[in-house]
Amino acid sequence: MTTLTLHATRRWLPALSPRQGLGAVLLALLLAFAWLVPWLFDADPARQQMTRILQLPSLAEPLGTDHLGRSLLARLAAAVQLSFGMALLSVASAAIPGVILGVMAGWRGGWLDRVLGSLADACLALPGLLLVLLLVAIAPGNFWALYVGISLVLWIEYFRVVRARTRILVASPQLEASRLLGFGPLALFRRHLWPELAPQVLTLAAFGAASAILAMAALGFVSVGLRPPTAELGLMMIELLPYYHEAPWAMAQPILVLFVLVLSLNLLAGRDPR
Amino acid sequence: MSVYLLQAEDLSIQGEGVTIAPFSCALEAGGRLTLLGETGSGKSLIAQAIMGSLPRGLVARGRLLIDGERFAAADGRSRRALWGRRLALLPQEPWHALDPTMRAVAQVAESHRHVAGRDRRAAHRAAWADLTELGLATAGSKLPGELSGGMAQRVAFAAASAGGAPIVIADEPTKGLDAPRRDAVVELLARTPERGGALVTITHDIDVARRLGGEVVILRQGRVVERGPARQVLTHPQSEYGQRLLEAEPGRWPRPAPLGERQAAVVSARGLAKARGGRELFRDLSLAVSPGEIVGVVGPSGCGKSTLGDMLLGMTPADNGDIHRAVDHRFGFQKLYQDPPAAFSPHWRLSRLLDDLVRRHRLDRAAIGPLMARLGLDDHLLARRPGEISGGELQRFAILRVLLLEPCFLFADEPTSRLDPITQRQTLELLVELARERRCGVMLVSHDPALIERICDRRIALGDGRLREVEPELDPALA
Repeated sequence: MTTLTLHATRRWLPALSPRQGLGAVLLALLLAFAWLVPWLFDADPARQQMTRILQLPSLAEPLGTDHLGRSLLARLAAAVQLSFGMALLSVASAAIPGVILGVMAGWRGGWLDRVLGSLADACLALPGLLLVLLLVAIAPGNFWALYVGISLVLWIEYFRVVRARTRILVASPQLEASRLLGFGPLALFRRHLWPELAPQVLTLAAFGAASAILAMAALGFVSVGLRPPTAELGLMMIELLPYYHEAPWAMAQPILVLFVLVLSLNLLAGRDPR
Repeated sequence: MSVYLLQAEDLSIQGEGVTIAPFSCALEAGGRLTLLGETGSGKSLIAQAIMGSLPRGLVARGRLLIDGERFAAADGRSRRALWGRRLALLPQEPWHALDPTMRAVAQVAESHRHVAGRDRRAAHRAAWADLTELGLATAGSKLPGELSGGMAQRVAFAAASAGGAPIVIADEPTKGLDAPRRDAVVELLARTPERGGALVTITHDIDVARRLGGEVVILRQGRVVERGPARQVLTHPQSEYGQRLLEAEPGRWPRPAPLGERQAAVVSARGLAKARGGRELFRDLSLAVSPGEIVGVVGPSGCGKSTLGDMLLGMTPADNGDIHRAVDHRFGFQKLYQDPPAAFSPHWRLSRLLDDLVRRHRLDRAAIGPLMARLGLDDHLLARRPGEISGGELQRFAILRVLLLEPCFLFADEPTSRLDPITQRQTLELLVELARERRCGVMLVSHDPALIERICDRRIALGDGRLREVEPELDPALA
């Protein structure tokens, strides 16, 4: 290159674009809400008070109550905790095997690549929601069935992206040079593969978290997900749906929270196109 | 109206730590201007400022006259309408500029159709005619990935000049090409001024500048160091830098210290054969490399030079024949790469990479300091990442890295072809010196026969499926 090299200063933390910053702030606010509410308010998401159903927000109940007189504030906080926790779990359990298998397939090639590739294709051939429904039918209302189902759908993206990238990197001079210098597979992964894979895997993870939350809410909405009285965003929506005439603000709350949660994750994941 | 086809007055570029001092030039019809200088001297930026395609953050100032029209250099967009029609840029590394999924002839036809405004049929005919004229009649229906570097360069030239632009700017047109292909590209470029156009060439290859003739401008760190007619500047440069630049031509290098007595080979091969893609690269090839010996390998692109080295390193199996390595020292066989940044992970500081190596092989840290001083590497470079130091420094760091393992054989695959002449000379001199000193056999690949002839003890010419070993013409004083 004859152009002058412009030295970009790098920081330890990845520099966030304004969009990503907005996403991070929104997410931080939501999480603070979810964890601070149970701590500051003595509110039980399952406590019913039949004398105070569908009340408008007041000082005692800042977000009002639902059709069973339960505190919407407490329920929303619990629902965000649940959704976010499960999103993290399913992202981790999709990303870790996805990355490991992807690196193995891309690195070794040959029969291992073909076997793992066909396995991914087989999983992909089943519609994702169907796979989740199948597992839910086997173990109805079970948190674990939901979570395993969602992870099984999500790992394929990690696998495919990582495999394609690894295949290119393994053939690159940088890896060949380090191998000649005597470095083992772990060192090669740490120094050469992970820094290249990390941005893509983290982007996928943020999108994956958003789609896991949506999948869970969708399953809750069609009443095959978690069972009442669990506070879950989709479940809250379907429970409040019959009362949308009397209490539109009550129904709007889980929708708004879901929207902000998914938006924040998508903002965090999406990078500015260069 | 001015007589000049291309004129730049007080063209300067500023921004992001870059300063290009005011630069002026004037080219009439048939004029040739060559910008010569090392990496980072700003020669590409001048071309981009003329084209109006400077990267964001850089601002050009000054006035331009292009084909009778006046422009303010600051307004880059104003020149877009000229692209292809009156002002053409031949990009460096043409295979990056061509669409990998489109056949060669279609890429040229596209320019004929959309830039020159011919209809589909005429564009296709014109494209075939262009390719045939450039000796590419058989390559028209191939994809860029199937073309050699020289062919891709010619296709890119045909596509860039299809619009009939009288002014052509060529940015490092011969980078990475071997000598015969380089000469062919130079001939191709010379057609533009011969037809009454103007040619601006950017290169770090003095030979290219000499062959093109015309006016030569030597740039360094954004300033014009020297300028004048090629014949004068390239034979009797006045500036100290110009003299150093000429001194760096391989033909003028001092010969390295003699090898002395040849010891038992560190690696020897007998009856090697290799075919790739159904084509035989070489057959019945035998060679031996002694400790401290520099063996040069020359040959056209794709003749299997790199494959031969990888076979000696044990990274590629041979189809036939056997290789004997004298020392069974697993890490005694190392490689230097053509593109230094590609051989490093860009994410880590050099100190970290060095630490890894020391820990992996339990090396003695005391050995690093003197070797770094020897290679002219400053301690503060260790705090940088591979992309943040120059190619020459990085290649010397690569040499440091392999020498720490005390190799007995080093395969250097065009280690300096992407470096400018002064850096190339410095790097290779160090490599030869250290190889002699540490009794490390080196197999050096280069596309520059003059360079190989100058510093190698023995020369192997590959190509045409045969091996010709050229015995050293021993200097009587050394023998």
